[in-house]
Amino acid sequence: MQDTYTYLAFLGIALFNLLIFPGGLFALSLGVLFKGLDRKIEARLQRRVGPPIIQPVIDIVKLSGKEAMVPETAQRPLFQSAPLLGFIGMAVCAALLPIPGVSHGLPYMGDMLVYFYLIQLPAVALMIAGSSSSSPFGTLGFSREMTLMFAYEIPLLMVILAVAMKVGGDHFAEFSLMNIISYQEENGQFITNWVMIPAFLAYLCFLPGTMGVPPFDIPEAETEIVEGPLLEYSGASLALFHLTSALKSIVVLGFGVVIFFPMTLGDNILVNIIWFAFKCFVLMLISCTFVKSATGRFRIEQAFGFYLKIPALLAAISLILVWLEY
Amino acid sequence: MNFLNSLATKSPWLFRINAGSCNGCDVELATTAFIPRFDVERLGCRYCGSPRHADIVLITGPLNVRIKDQVLKVWNEIPEPKVTVAVGICPISGGLFKQGHSVCGPLDKYLPIDVNIPGCPPRPQAIMEGILIAKEIWLKRIEEAEQKGVRRVELPK
Repeated sequence: MQDTYTYLAFLGIALFNLLIFPGGLFALSLGVLFKGLDRKIEARLQRRVGPPIIQPVIDIVKLSGKEAMVPETAQRPLFQSAPLLGFIGMAVCAALLPIPGVSHGLPYMGDMLVYFYLIQLPAVALMIAGSSSSSPFGTLGFSREMTLMFAYEIPLLMVILAVAMKVGGDHFAEFSLMNIISYQEENGQFITNWVMIPAFLAYLCFLPGTMGVPPFDIPEAETEIVEGPLLEYSGASLALFHLTSALKSIVVLGFGVVIFFPMTLGDNILVNIIWFAFKCFVLMLISCTFVKSATGRFRIEQAFGFYLKIPALLAAISLILVWLEY
Repeated sequence: MNFLNSLATKSPWLFRINAGSCNGCDVELATTAFIPRFDVERLGCRYCGSPRHADIVLITGPLNVRIKDQVLKVWNEIPEPKVTVAVGICPISGGLFKQGHSVCGPLDKYLPIDVNIPGCPPRPQAIMEGILIAKEIWLKRIEEAEQKGVRRVELPK
């Protein structure tokens, strides 16, 4: 009997995490708000008035009312399930996100590794979308997305390893996000630690690549390959891709906040949520909005070279420094 | 639902089709009407590369024999409800190219045109006014689609 209750309570909490907080409703609304702020600030930086802040909501409302077309030559089941795959991956990711001082995320060891794999899911969904749409532009987008993913995975993996080794200490690596947060609460945040600053810079470089904003919007380059994998999507499926990218921005920004500056402000839950959102917003400003409004677009081999040279080098410096410390 | 419909019309994504134009109207569309000074993005407008994402389609040019089938095909790819806007004098009458041997326009022989923006080329203000009128027509279309279901407009052969 006791077991049943425990099980039900666990299920209830899991559903709450998935649908309302920190995943689902909370992450979606925050992500969509961030997208709107991003567009508005970019417009202001270019001395335009810019769209209203709720413009992404308007876009999604409009898209869900449009006719959804499937090309005759497309692989129909794959084509229709690809947006769902990415969205589900990101929904799970957002539900597992530990918000410092508010929620705990996954209480087991190793959730950082789960994160590492789940973060790649929207990119995989885009690849499936591109290759199943039977459009030559989709196929081009698919190959570019894959190349870019290989490139930015390497610095991300080294950043994760550096953090894990730093927290784990002498003999083992620590892959639990909760333990990483509590370590930083005792020993100071990683952003103030000179050993970890190269890793933080590498993470900053990783962010625009994974969020697909200029100069790394190569797979969806509008002016070259007419939005690549998204070319054949219309209506609600396209809206789902937009929601996925909104969720993904929260997930990768929140992950960065958790592993580099998770300090809380007191014990008040509401204050901590707002503080967390503010830190995510600052991270987005630095890594995406400012970069995006000032740069053009890399070619794919330039982006590949960039990721393997600068962020990978920075992350490797951090890794070696951490290793030398022990 | 009325509220959602009027909200939806605040996000018109535009798609350009060049049906044999001299490029004058295209330059007006791509540059002057979209410079930061006028900033059509504050109305939610955005150029999209794919006809599948479009809501308002802007057609320039007198429609050549060579390009007629492609224009009709691309127009068919755009999901309903959509609004068709003819930009410049060429789609209306053939304009400068009226006597040309390869011109098979005017455009409304083949496509249902909702808004005409005359001019050679039209001023950016006229283009923006045309887009605003197209938005109103689009709202009517959405409400119609809601009551009677989405209905594809069949092109005359």
